[in-house]
Amino acid sequence: MIDEIKKLRNIGISAHIDSGKTTLTERILYYTRRIFAIHEVRGKDGVGAKMDSMELEKERGITIASAATHCEWQGHRINIIDTPGHVDFTIEVERALRVMDGAVLILCSVGGVQSQSITVDRQMNRYKVPRIAFINKCDRAGADPYKVVQQLRQKLNHNAVLMQIPIGLEGKLSGVVDLISMVAIYFEGPNGDEVKSGPVPPDLIEEAKKKREEMLDNLSMFSDELTEAILEETINEAIIRKVIREETISRKITPVFLGSAYKNIGVQTLLDGINSYLPAPVEVKNIALDMNNNEKEICLESNPEMPVVALAFKLEVTPYGQLTYIRIYQGTIRKGNDLVITRTRKKIKVGRLVRMHADEMEEVVSANAGDIVALFGVECYSGDTFTDGSLICSMSSMFIPEPVISLSLTPKDIKAQNNMSKALDRFTREDPTFRSYVDQESGETIISGMGELHLDVYVERMKREFNAQVETGAPQVAYREAITIKSAFDYTHKKQTGGAGQFGRVMGFMEPSEKGIYEFINQVKGGTIPTEYIPAVDKGFQSCLKKGWMLEFPVLGMKITVEDGKSHSVDSSEMAFTQAAIGAFKQAYMKAKPVILEPVMKVCVEVPSEFQGNVMSSINQRRGLIISSAEDGVFTTIEAEVPLSEMFGYATVLRSITQGKAEFTMEFTKYSRLPESLADELKTRMKESAKGGIRQ
Amino acid sequence: MKNFISVSPLKILDKSSRKELGPGNLGVLIARAGVGKTACLIHIALDRIFRQGKIVHVSLEEGPEKVMSYYNVIYSDLVKALNIEDSNDENRMIIDRSRMILAYLHQSFDLDRLRLNLNNLQEKLDFKPDALILDGLDFETTETSVFEGLKQISQQFGFELWLSALSHRHISDANERGVVYPVNKIDYLFSIIIQVQAESSGVFLRLLKDHDNAIISDTSVRLDPNTFLSLV
Repeated sequence: MIDEIKKLRNIGISAHIDSGKTTLTERILYYTRRIFAIHEVRGKDGVGAKMDSMELEKERGITIASAATHCEWQGHRINIIDTPGHVDFTIEVERALRVMDGAVLILCSVGGVQSQSITVDRQMNRYKVPRIAFINKCDRAGADPYKVVQQLRQKLNHNAVLMQIPIGLEGKLSGVVDLISMVAIYFEGPNGDEVKSGPVPPDLIEEAKKKREEMLDNLSMFSDELTEAILEETINEAIIRKVIREETISRKITPVFLGSAYKNIGVQTLLDGINSYLPAPVEVKNIALDMNNNEKEICLESNPEMPVVALAFKLEVTPYGQLTYIRIYQGTIRKGNDLVITRTRKKIKVGRLVRMHADEMEEVVSANAGDIVALFGVECYSGDTFTDGSLICSMSSMFIPEPVISLSLTPKDIKAQNNMSKALDRFTREDPTFRSYVDQESGETIISGMGELHLDVYVERMKREFNAQVETGAPQVAYREAITIKSAFDYTHKKQTGGAGQFGRVMGFMEPSEKGIYEFINQVKGGTIPTEYIPAVDKGFQSCLKKGWMLEFPVLGMKITVEDGKSHSVDSSEMAFTQAAIGAFKQAYMKAKPVILEPVMKVCVEVPSEFQGNVMSSINQRRGLIISSAEDGVFTTIEAEVPLSEMFGYATVLRSITQGKAEFTMEFTKYSRLPESLADELKTRMKESAKGGIRQ
Repeated sequence: MKNFISVSPLKILDKSSRKELGPGNLGVLIARAGVGKTACLIHIALDRIFRQGKIVHVSLEEGPEKVMSYYNVIYSDLVKALNIEDSNDENRMIIDRSRMILAYLHQSFDLDRLRLNLNNLQEKLDFKPDALILDGLDFETTETSVFEGLKQISQQFGFELWLSALSHRHISDANERGVVYPVNKIDYLFSIIIQVQAESSGVFLRLLKDHDNAIISDTSVRLDPNTFLSLV
């Protein structure tokens, strides 16, 4: 069984637009016999409208766009995981990167390493994904694969090692020379199906020897065994391949393959490279969090005999119900088994278990650790962890941050309204940090999330995937209130006119909580407030936290201590004490000098070093505090804390000041006090809005 | 944080002729591996910060996150050891606002880059440091011209610059002035040289060079090996 897992590859194919991802993926599916004909991206006249890959996929009915497609090559099973083309960082992208064990980075031999390649590559770096590179389009005019190798080294900081050199270039491209075996490889037949090898063409012998030398030189840095073999002239292919495999997996080198997917050259050797150099699931360290042990990290093993742990990484809505793509990290899932969703502890039964192929779905009875399959009809969210119940763990932290920004949505018509509802239902399942609700006062649909870009992505998806035409309001920051000093209260709620009377008195004080949460301390002695009414007092105070008395923002970090009170044998009730607490809150709150808090984001900008100054300025102008700047190769990563309200539109600004070469991520880090002058502005704005009948 | 300043390892400079390293000068801490060079450098940084100064911390080995966590750990130890109240994290905010971390990973460090980065800090952020802490420079492989360049930079920007140097048990070379390897051949570039030594009774700081003062007082400062605070 372990041998089978060793022959499994979960890979992503990443590329910038127009570098040939669709053509290469299609050729892979063709050579692995998943599809039986090759279509071309462009029309026969060669100038036909260039379609984007998604449209093409849809038109062809190929499910490359599905989260994972399965194929087999030379006894190895390969799951190709869809690498999202957009660079906006969402939880879905994170999950796609997480489930892949390795990736193929496609580069255009003419265009080279472009800014989008840089972005995608840096995302993969973050997730420590080992890569091999494929320099495509070597048949194009202006092709220069050696220049691209240089760029891989300089721009992406990869230790790129050429595995091949091209036989001919541009229109004369006819094959590749393998630098390990030192043979020429040609791809013959109408679709390049027949792979033939022969001697290295005489005019390439010198160059091939030189490039092989360079390859061995580079590899010998990592292996004494290889160095000795070179010195003793006992070098063989097995040693070279072993070093390449080990160092690719440890991300010290990036083997580089060449070819032209369009001309059917070099695809099969790339597939060999995937099998030979990218890791099997057993070679990748995967961590889960033990929910029964304070989220302690546990290392998972790709062992089919161990308890099941699987991650739902993508949901797809099909006419037959929800399709949930899962990656099994440990254990074996069988049809009919019970699984437990860690988030809800709910048990589900595995009904249909399927493996996705290019254009078909294969029902399977079981699937093992390391594999990627899909479950039909399971009610779950994307990012859910499944276990067999013997182990309660999660592949990601169960901590879900509160949204910090919101946006109102107005559908254009009834149809858009229905589609919007479907979209919102889907998105909230996919992403726990995305929320939606209908504001009771304005009747508007409000979506909230972790940043402007985060919401932009969903609004865009709503339009594209669900045809929901909506108009968005201005983004609103989720401000909070907090008190700054201790303030005492002594409030009596008394109503003794007509009907049953109400009486309750509470005495104590409110103060800022060091823990930053709501705390309720009961120090009442002698039963002055009967014990049964204490929860009602707590409830009364908690109800006030939803809307502070300053600007009606929720109140954070307050500690209430109730020391004394008074009750009436007949007129006291839970309701009376809840009202007394509300009165006490009102009495003490403004005396406790409340302030407005604003969400502050941790912003991380990755940018070519020459733009460091521009980026620093732009952050400084936004009331940001730069924490650090780290130089790595030709890149600089700047980390800063910036108020969210200042980050609106930053993506556009960043693009313009860095020629589109920067990438930034941001996440909520803390609430900080809004400066006095801005708090006053906000108060004025809110008052004006209230006068105009518009709720802020 | 007056109570910290009174027990900071920089107390050793009270015994020096000018009581400080001073702008435009280089200072170095020499110690064997594991004695606490980074911790001492961070104490120097905190000393400057709590005297209302600004510092740039340059790290050549660790990323910013690690550097930040060093500061957090050392500051937390300080709070405990000195029994300081910091309920609103005000001191932490002061540290964050007064410190800039510049990391140069994977051999990205060179003088031109440092100069450019410091210029950016000054021009774009109006951040003018009083001290620069440079941790992780390999004295054995770094050419003298780099130290000369660092001295020029400290003069150009008007800050004092502190470095740490790794010494070895098996190399006991020292020059006629008593300055030990690996600073023995370039000691003329440094104004203050301090040796950090771990002994059974604690960690000791010894002044090996005090500006142009030929006579160095033969006194040392003993530090608590856990907190690196001076034991008065």
